[in-house]
Parts: sequence; structure tokens; C-alpha cells
Amino acid sequence: MTRRTHDVLSVEWVRLELLRTAYSTRGGLFSRMDPRAVLAWYVLLALAPWFTHDTAVLIGLFVLGAIGVVLARVGPLVLGLFLVGLLGNVLGLLVASLFFGGDLGTLAALAELNLKLGAVSMASMAAFVSLDPEKLSDALLSLRAPELLAFGVSYGYRMLPILVDEYVTVFEGQRLRHAPPPRPGILGWRVILQWCTLAVTAFSPIMLNVAGTVRTTVEALETRGFTYAAANPQGRRLRLAHLRITALDVLVVAASALAIAACYAIPGLLGVSPAPPGGAAG
Amino acid sequence: MSAPASLPAATDAADGPVDPVIVVRDLSFRYPGAQRDTLRNVDLTIERGDFVAVVGGNGSAKTTLCKTFNGLIPHYWNGDFAGAVHVDGLDTWESDVAELSSRVGYVYQDFTDQLVRPTVRDEVSFGPLNFGHADHRERTDEALEQLGIAHLAQSFVWQLSGGQAHLVALASVLAMRPSVIVVDEPVAELDPARAREIYRRLAQLNRERGITVITIEHHAEFVAEFARSVVLMAEGAPVWHLPVREAMARHADLEAHGVPAPDAVALTAHLGQEQLALDADSAARVLRPRRRPEPPSPPPSPPREAEAADAAPAAHRPRPAEVVASLRGIHHGYRSVSGGLQVVLEDLDLDLHAGERIALVGTNGAGKSTLMKLLTGLMVPRRGTVTVDGIDTRSRSAARLADHVSYLYQHPGRMFLRESVRADVALFPTGRRLPDAAELVEEVLERVGLQQLAERDGRSLSGGQQRRATIGIGLAMRPRLLLLDEPTSSLDIRSRDDVTGMLASLAGTVRCAVVATHDMDLVASWASRVIVLDRGAVIADLTPRELFSRPELTRRARLTPPQAARIGLALGLDPLPLTAAEVRAALDPALDTLLDRVPEEAR
Repeated sequence: MTRRTHDVLSVEWVRLELLRTAYSTRGGLFSRMDPRAVLAWYVLLALAPWFTHDTAVLIGLFVLGAIGVVLARVGPLVLGLFLVGLLGNVLGLLVASLFFGGDLGTLAALAELNLKLGAVSMASMAAFVSLDPEKLSDALLSLRAPELLAFGVSYGYRMLPILVDEYVTVFEGQRLRHAPPPRPGILGWRVILQWCTLAVTAFSPIMLNVAGTVRTTVEALETRGFTYAAANPQGRRLRLAHLRITALDVLVVAASALAIAACYAIPGLLGVSPAPPGGAAG
Repeated sequence: MSAPASLPAATDAADGPVDPVIVVRDLSFRYPGAQRDTLRNVDLTIERGDFVAVVGGNGSAKTTLCKTFNGLIPHYWNGDFAGAVHVDGLDTWESDVAELSSRVGYVYQDFTDQLVRPTVRDEVSFGPLNFGHADHRERTDEALEQLGIAHLAQSFVWQLSGGQAHLVALASVLAMRPSVIVVDEPVAELDPARAREIYRRLAQLNRERGITVITIEHHAEFVAEFARSVVLMAEGAPVWHLPVREAMARHADLEAHGVPAPDAVALTAHLGQEQLALDADSAARVLRPRRRPEPPSPPPSPPREAEAADAAPAAHRPRPAEVVASLRGIHHGYRSVSGGLQVVLEDLDLDLHAGERIALVGTNGAGKSTLMKLLTGLMVPRRGTVTVDGIDTRSRSAARLADHVSYLYQHPGRMFLRESVRADVALFPTGRRLPDAAELVEEVLERVGLQQLAERDGRSLSGGQQRRATIGIGLAMRPRLLLLDEPTSSLDIRSRDDVTGMLASLAGTVRCAVVATHDMDLVASWASRVIVLDRGAVIADLTPRELFSRPELTRRARLTPPQAARIGLALGLDPLPLTAAEVRAALDPALDTLLDRVPEEAR
């Protein structure tokens, strides 16, 4: 066995991908938009699939979601997890249906649900990958979400990279100081089991370390007017003053609305799908 | 102005403060649930525009005192509060934290915990926005500009180096346009070069903006160089508050309270307060006439045995045959968030031998940590071969290499995986079913002097004890090669000496020890070989004495030699002294003993 440095599918890669996703470092269309418009776009696309059972319409919406994913430049980790989830689901159901004496028809019947879930998931990925922590917390604040929630979101993002670093360090320490299993076992199950155990137990030192840092943070928040701002709305107005809906925002949301309308209208006009909903099963 | 130095001065520095910014009268404070008062009858006046250093041993209530200035005490910590604190004419008892925050800015010792927003600009504007200042944008730009970090405005907080993060924390309090800034131990978490940068910025704010600066400090070198007055705290009250020169003249007081005087002061104190030097350059100026007349001729080679080995350039000295670890043709780098490959080590060749005490020095990002992690086998190089104890690290998992190498992280908290120090020390030997595990654990606990505290959680120990616990964890792994990352960072002087002493005693147990460090005092007193890294390459491999004799090298690697070495260099002493005692030995003994008598007579 020779060890090598891997650039993808390594712990380091997962760490970098998390950061790239959370801080939307890849740019993309939605990251140039006003965060409120992005949320509006998201609401449109996330709600649209739930008002139809028509497979043709759903395929259209699915394609819209996919376009969103491309425009938002979603990274390989998130996309990979999504695909694994979606395909795994489809495959699993197929195997199960074949086992219980079904046929490919069952798959078609299940397609509706998978298309819906897929479309919504892709819209979520596109929207949240494009919102960096500041934008997201500003958007929440402007939509009258509680201050604490808006702050919590941005603070969570701020802590994420630090926690990931800390986790990696503690996990390394775990690996070095715990004895490796004497024999790997079939398919290395002993090694895998130990990794899993260590991965879980690595959380406890981190929790204890973080608990120690919270006191300073809370004091600092106090001195920097966090509680003052909760009682005085002036700060909120100033913070949100920079938000502007631009032509781009209007254009993207309008175009998406039109596209959704088209998805609903076109199959009917072309007569692709049978008129009564649910008729496909017959 | 030739009055004797030892005139007793008033407890307060100023005989009639012209314009006090902070006035503390009869202040006592007890934390809720505590058995005794933390602050006791404190009387203190701080003048507007002063640069005050608050010094004192652990537990002398330095931090508690400073938290009364911005109203955290009594408004956030409500305990028993008696007496009065006035800041800028405002009674803190009748005011609140919000109002006081715009007058007193506070930068914490663990300043990274004080950064709460994701980007630098957002962080700095957080205070002004919360308080609804319409000019928040100007305030933010101004604060960033003043500290020279405008280029970082869009950076994410987690991308910052320690020094940058400290400047951001400072900028975020500066954006509130305070009249007083309190900085709690800037040196603790930063390397000396960066700490000096922070002090330079503080001095500039003090000079140009008239901001009153208060720092809590353990390192007398910075106090002597930057402060204008010094408050010595002990047992919850100031012992005295004196102008810096008078304060340094009382170096015995300072030493007694765990703040040993800097070498410049120690070497010139006996010459009287007028001649007292506060930094290396003035010490050299004062001491120059006291140099020995040119050739000290007869003893051509230094008499001490240890010096003999030191004198030969490390690279040409005959090496002990045994190589503990070797690196050949190493190239390594990391992917950055933007996807590019950042090269950290380039074409590096190195052999580490048995019996060596190696210090790995260089700026942040020079490749020290990467080199150490390659030696542990936690990572393998992109190109080249790392061999430890005869084993190619590619051929063995890091967990198995741990039988040969152990690596101690910079932050002890990350090494405490178990519920007690004893369990942490025992984790490795009992996990590997070593036959003598139990005795080994006891022996190690005794070595590091933690038998009494062995059942406590590592996190509940003091900084120095935590370091000793991690050294214990390392020793219990019985490594051939021991790697330590910054073992003396964020320790006060006393704990630092403690840890340095412990490292020195490792020689018998560990074949070879490597320390990555910014602490040049540790390098001077402990290392037998120094490897200087700069941008991924070894630019020098020599003894500490050789390193500190070459100013062009230390400048290039951004190292600050110990103060005694800087004085010795300015005096042109050869061989270069590394400690105050060595400087003293090189000076004219006749003059020295004569002058030594002065302070005793004056007392």
C-alpha cells in the first residue's frame, strides 16, 4: 500500500468544498442579485412543483431547477451528494419493486415524486449556494425574521470553518493516539468501525473547547451594542439601507415566473399529456 | 534632574492630573459567589493621552480592573461593587455598557472569539451599525485605514492570520471612536514580530489621535519600550503607578511579581535612572563605554565546554552517525479555496540526527507546520520521500507511525480527548497494550509534575500546566522523534521558563526533538541546531549563536533575536552573548563591579 496526496475525495477536499459552498466563492448569477430577490426566486421554484401531478410539467420544472444549478455554479460535493441521494432513491425503489414482482411501470409511477423532490432540491442548492452569510442574514432581517435568528445564521457561518479545522485536528489526534485494530477484518470492517467511533467521539472535546470561548463572545457582543440594537431599530434600517432591487433581479424573477408558467402551459397546448390529471397510470 | 532614582514616589504617577480620563476611587469588587474580593480598595487615576501598561502576576486582577472601565463590571457581571469609577466624566454605575462602549474599547486576549461576523468589513461596522451611527461607513473606512488593513475589508474572518485578526478586533473597537482602548495581553497569542506591530500601531494611535491606551502585559520588554506609565497590580490592588522609567528602576518589585525586567533594563539598572535603558539600542549606547578594551587576549577560545561545539558552523561539524529522520526532494502544497495549488515546501532536503535539539523557525506560512505534519505521516508529500526511523512514511499509516513519532499541537485543548490528564496520558500506552503501561503513566506524570492534578480535566488547568500535560502525553508515546508546535506560546514568563526547563530535560528520553517556534528566547536557551525556513526552503542551518550574529538573516526570516543578543550585536561583541549574564561577562569587570555597588548604597 502506497499513500498519496489526493486533491479530491479527501478530508481536505470536503473542508474546502464546505467553505466554497457556504461562502459562495464560485460566484454565479444569483450571487450578483439582491438576496431578497434570490429568496423570492427560490420560493417560486420551490412551490411550483407542488401544484401538479403532470409528469411533463414536472420534467419542465426539473429542467428549470437544473438550469438554476448550472447558473449558480453549485460545487461537486453538494451536487454529488444530491445525485447519489436521488439516483440511490430511484435505484433502491426499482430493486424493491422488481423484487416484489413489479416492472418498469412502477418506476414511471414513482417518477413524479422523484421529479418533484429533485426540482425543489436543485432550487434550494442554487439559492443557498449563492447566498453568503452576510446576504442571508440581511435578507432574513429585511423579511422581519427575529434579530437573533439573523445573527445566529451569520455567526454559524463564521464559526463553521473554525469548527471544521478544530474537528480535523482532534480527529487526527484520535487516529494517532488510539491503537489501530490489529487485523482489518473482512473488507476492513474493523478499521471502518473504528473510524466511525473516533469520528463521533471527536465531537466531545470540541464541544468543551467551544464552551470555553462563548463567554468572551457574549461579552464582546454586549460591548458592541448587540442588545442595544435589539431595542433600537435605527441600526436595522442602516444595515439594510444598502439592499437594492436592480433590473437584473426583476428580470431573473420575471423570467423564472414566465418559464414556470410556460412549463404548465406548453404540455397542454401540445397535447403531450392526457387532460385529466392522474390519467397517466391508466 | 539628577535626583537619585530611589526617591519614594507617590502611589499615583501624577502629582496633579491635568485631565484624568479614568478615575477609580475606593473600588472593591467581588464576583457573584466568590469567597473574597477580587478588587480591593483600588485608587487609580489615568490621564488622558497616557499609554499605561498594567502588569502583575497571575490572579492579580488586572483583567477584572480593566473590565470596570467599560462597565462590563458592574453591569454585565453583577457582584458586590463598592466605590466609584468615572470614565470621561461619566459614573459607570449610573451609566450602561452601551454608553460606555463608545468611550472605552476592549480587545480581548482571545481576540478571535470577539470576532462575530463573517467578513472584516461587516465585523468592523457591526458596532457603529448597532448603535445606529449614520456615518458607519466613514467610521469603518477610517478604522481600517488607521490600522493599515483596508485591503482586508472583503476578506473572511477565518482567512486572517493571527496578527491580522488582532488588528481587525482593534479596528472594530476603533470604529466606535473611543477615547480609551484597553488591550488584554496582545503578546500572548501572537508571535513577537506581530505583537511589536500591534504595539507600534497602538503607539501611533496614542500619539496621533490622543487615544488613551491601556495594555495588560506580562512581557516587560514591550512595557519598557512602548508604555509611558506602569501600574503594578498585586492582590487586587495597585502596588504603585509610576512613569515607565521609575517603574523599570524598581525591577526588583517587578521581578517579585512575576514580571522580570527586560535585559536592557537588567544590564543598565545599576547605572542609575538617568542612564536606565528601555530598549536594546539605548542599552548598547549606554554600555558602549563599558566594553572591555579591545583584545581580551590570553584566553583565545571560550573556556566553557558547551561553547566548543557551538563555535563550529553547524553544517560542517562532524555529525553523529545515526539519522533519525530524513527528507529528500520534498515538494508539497495545498489546494486553496479558489482551487489553485499553493506551494508550501519546495525541493527540501534535510537530515535530523540523534541527540539534536532542533528549532524550526520562520514566519507564518514558511512551511514549519507542514514539515512537522509530513514527519508525523499525517500527510505524505506530493513529491519526494520522508523517512522516519528507517520507515518510508508512504508505506505505513499515520496511526502505525505514531509508534515512532509523536506530534504535540499548539493548542493543548485539542489534545485533551479524555476526561482526565491521567486518562489522556494513558490513552496511547494502554491502547497499544504495552506491558508496562501503568508504570509508564505514573513515571510520566511524575516527570511533568502533574501527579496531584492527574484526575482533573486538562482544560481546567492553567496554561503552563496544560503544556506540561501535553508534553506528558507525548512522552507516554515513547517516541524516537518528538515534534512540538509552539510549546511556549501564550504562556507568561514563569510558565514559559518552566516549559523550557522541561524540554531541556527530555534529552535522555527522546532521540531527537524538533520544536517549531517564534520564541527566540527558547531558541537561544534550548536549541542546539536551528533550521530557518523561508517560503518553503531552508535558508540556513546553524547554531542559535550563529543565527543571531547574522542580522541580514534574521531580518530576512523576520525573526527578532533575544534582547541580550541584540545588545551584544550592537556592541559588536564576539562571540555573541545570548543572555544578559553573558553580556555582563563581556563587559569590563572592573567598571562593572564598581557600578554594581551603587544601588545597594542608594538603598
